Amino acid sequence: MKVRTGLRATSLALVGSLALTGCIGGSDDDDGEGGSDGPITIGISLPLTGDFSEPGKGIQRGYEAWAEYMNENGGLLGRDVELEILDNQSNADRTATDYERLINQDEVDLVVGPFSTLLVVPAAQVAQDYGFLFVEPAGAAPELFEEGFDNLFYAAPAVANDHYNHLADYIEAMPEDERPQTAAYAAMDDPFAQGTAYGLKERLEEMGVETVVDEVYPPNTTDFGGIAAQIADSDADILVGGSQYQDGVNLILALQQLDYQPDMAAFSTAPTQPEFERAIGGETEGILAPTGYTPEAQYPSNLEFVEFYTDKHGNPPGEDEANAWTTGQVVAAAVEAAGCADSALVDPDCQQEMIDWLHENEVETVVGPLSWDEAGRPQAAHMIQQWIGGEIKIVLPEELAEADIIHPKPAW
Amino acid sequence: MSLFFQSLVLGVLLGGLYALLAAGLTLYFGVMRVVMIAHAAFLVLAGYLAWFFATETGLDPMLSLVVTVPLFFAVGFGMQRLLLSRLRPSTMTMMSVLLTFAIALLIEGLLGYTWSGTQRRIRLPYGGSSIDLFGVHIAAVKLIAFGLAAVSLLALYLVLTRTKLGQALRATIQHPEAARLLGINTDRIAGYGFGIGLATAAVGGTALSLDATIYPSLHWHWIGPLMAIIVVGGLGSIPGAAIAAMVLGISQSLLQVPLGTTWAQTVFYLALFATLMVRPQGFFGGRLAQRF
Repeated sequence: MKVRTGLRATSLALVGSLALTGCIGGSDDDDGEGGSDGPITIGISLPLTGDFSEPGKGIQRGYEAWAEYMNENGGLLGRDVELEILDNQSNADRTATDYERLINQDEVDLVVGPFSTLLVVPAAQVAQDYGFLFVEPAGAAPELFEEGFDNLFYAAPAVANDHYNHLADYIEAMPEDERPQTAAYAAMDDPFAQGTAYGLKERLEEMGVETVVDEVYPPNTTDFGGIAAQIADSDADILVGGSQYQDGVNLILALQQLDYQPDMAAFSTAPTQPEFERAIGGETEGILAPTGYTPEAQYPSNLEFVEFYTDKHGNPPGEDEANAWTTGQVVAAAVEAAGCADSALVDPDCQQEMIDWLHENEVETVVGPLSWDEAGRPQAAHMIQQWIGGEIKIVLPEELAEADIIHPKPAW
Repeated sequence: MSLFFQSLVLGVLLGGLYALLAAGLTLYFGVMRVVMIAHAAFLVLAGYLAWFFATETGLDPMLSLVVTVPLFFAVGFGMQRLLLSRLRPSTMTMMSVLLTFAIALLIEGLLGYTWSGTQRRIRLPYGGSSIDLFGVHIAAVKLIAFGLAAVSLLALYLVLTRTKLGQALRATIQHPEAARLLGINTDRIAGYGFGIGLATAAVGGTALSLDATIYPSLHWHWIGPLMAIIVVGGLGSIPGAAIAAMVLGISQSLLQVPLGTTWAQTVFYLALFATLMVRPQGFFGGRLAQRF
C-alpha cells in the first residue's frame, strides 16, 4: 500500500512538472479546458461484473438517468454532461487504476464514486491524491469516514450507525415503563451490517436497555439454530438484526421455530428485499427495517426523478438508482455554486472550491436535504419502515409516515 | 438449563443432517479413492431442483425426490464411468480433486445462469412450526430433515450389508484385486457406488433446502466441514462419518453458547487437526484409510 501511494505521489509530481513546462496542457486543442462550450465529462468506475454487479448496474442506471435528465433540461452550466464509465470487475486494485486512467488519460472534468465501501476507499484515495472532489453513492460503513479523507461526501441520508436513529428516538420518547427492558443483537461480521445494529445498541444502552445477547456471526454461517436458541432463551423485548439478506431470513425462521416472540424486531436490508415476504412465509407483520430511500417521498426533486425514471424504465427507481441520482445532484449543486467544472489537473482551485462549498452548505436531493460533517458523513437519518398488512410502509419519522407504527409487534 | 437442552436437541438434529450430507462423500472415497469436491455443489443442485419443483407445482418439495434420486444415481454412474474411471489409478486421488473442482464450478455457474444469484428459500406451510417437548422446541422442518437422514442412512446400511450389490461394493472397497478375482465386475460396481453416493446428495440437498436459503455459491460453505467430518470419521467409513457428524454437530451447537458462532464453527477444523495428529487414519477408517 505504501509503495503504491508513493508511486502515486511521484506520478502526481511528474504530471505537475509536465504541466508546468507546458508538455500537457497546451497540446490538446479540442478538449477545451476551463469553461469552454464542450461537454462536462464525468469519470466513473463501476462494478458492472463480479460480486457487486447487481447493485453496480443499479448505480449505472441511476447515473445514466441523471445525465439524460440534465441534458434534456439545459445541462450543467449550460454544457452537456457526458459520462465516462469503466468496469472495475468488483476489484479494488482495478478501481484505483481506473480512476488514475480517467483522470490522466481520459482527462475527465469530474469524478464520482463506485458502489460498496470496499471500492470507494481506493477510489477516494486516488481522487484525494489528485485534488478532486469525490461524491459517492454507496459506502456507508463507519470505517470509511475514519480514513482522513477531506474530499469525500456520501450522497445518502446517513452512515450505517445512524440508520436506526429515528427508531431510537421513538423508543426514547416512550414512557419509561413501556420501553423495552432487554435487547438481543445478532449481527453479521461485516462493517455495514454490524454498523447498523451497533448504532442502535449504543443508543439503547444509553437509555438503560440491558443487552442480554450480543452475537456476531461470520458471513458463511449456514445454521442459525444456535443463535436463535440463545435469543429465545434470553426472551429479549427487542431484537436487532444486523443482517444482509439470507442471514436475516434464516434467523427469523429459526426464531419462529423456537416460538420466540419479541415486542419489537428490527432487521437491516433483508426486510426491504422483494424476496423477503415469500421467503419467510408471509409472517412479516410488524418487522421493522431502516431504508434510505422511497419513491413515495414527496421532496420536489424526487417527484421529478420518479416520473422521469419510470418513463424511461417502466418501473420506479430503487435505492441504488436513487443514490446515484443523489450523487449527481450533489455534484451539480457544487458545480453551480463554484461556477466551474474543471479537472484538478487544469484548475485545482475549482475542485477545492466545490469541496469547501459542500462542507458548508445543504443540498436538496431526492432523499431530502443533505449536509455533511468534516469527514463527509451525511447528517440525516434513515426512515424506518414496517411490514403492515403485507406491505412495507414508512412509519418513522412522523412527518413522512405512511402508517402508524405497530407496537408491540404481533406474533410471527 | 433449558438453553442447554435446546442446544443439545438442535445439535442432534444438525448432526443428523451433517451425517446424511457427508455419507456420500465418504462412500466415493471408499469405493474409488475419489475426493469429490463437487458433492456439496450437487447438494445445492438438488436443493434448487426441489425449490423449482415446489414453486412450479405448489406440491411438497420432498416429492421431487421421486425424480431427483434416480436422476442423480444415473448422473453419478455416468460421471464415474465416463470421467473418473479415465483417470490414471496412481494419481486418482489428486486428479479427482481437480476434475470434481471443475464440476463444482460448472454446476455453480449453470445454477447462476439459469436461476440468477438471487437467494431462494422454499416457502413451506410448516416452515416456522415446531413441536413443544418438555419445554424444548423441535422445528418441524428440522425433524423432517433428520427423519430423511435417518431413513436414507438406514437404507444405505441395509443395501451395503444385506444385498448382493452391497457385498460386491464392500468387497470392492476392501480389496479390489481380490474382488475381481472372485468375478466381481469392480468397474461397474464402482459406478454403482458412485451413483449411490450421488443419490444421497439428492436426498441431502432436498433435506437441506427445507430449512435453508440456497444460492449458487452456497456449496463452498459446506464442503469444508463435510470434508472434515469424513476425515475425522475415517475416510471410506459410513458409520464413522455418521458418528463424527453427530459428535461435531452437537459440539458445534453446544459450544455456540459460550464461544459464539465464529469460534464454534472452528470445531470442525480443530477436530480435523487433532485427528491428523493423533490418529491420521480417522477414528473408524482403520486399515482401509491407512493403506491410502
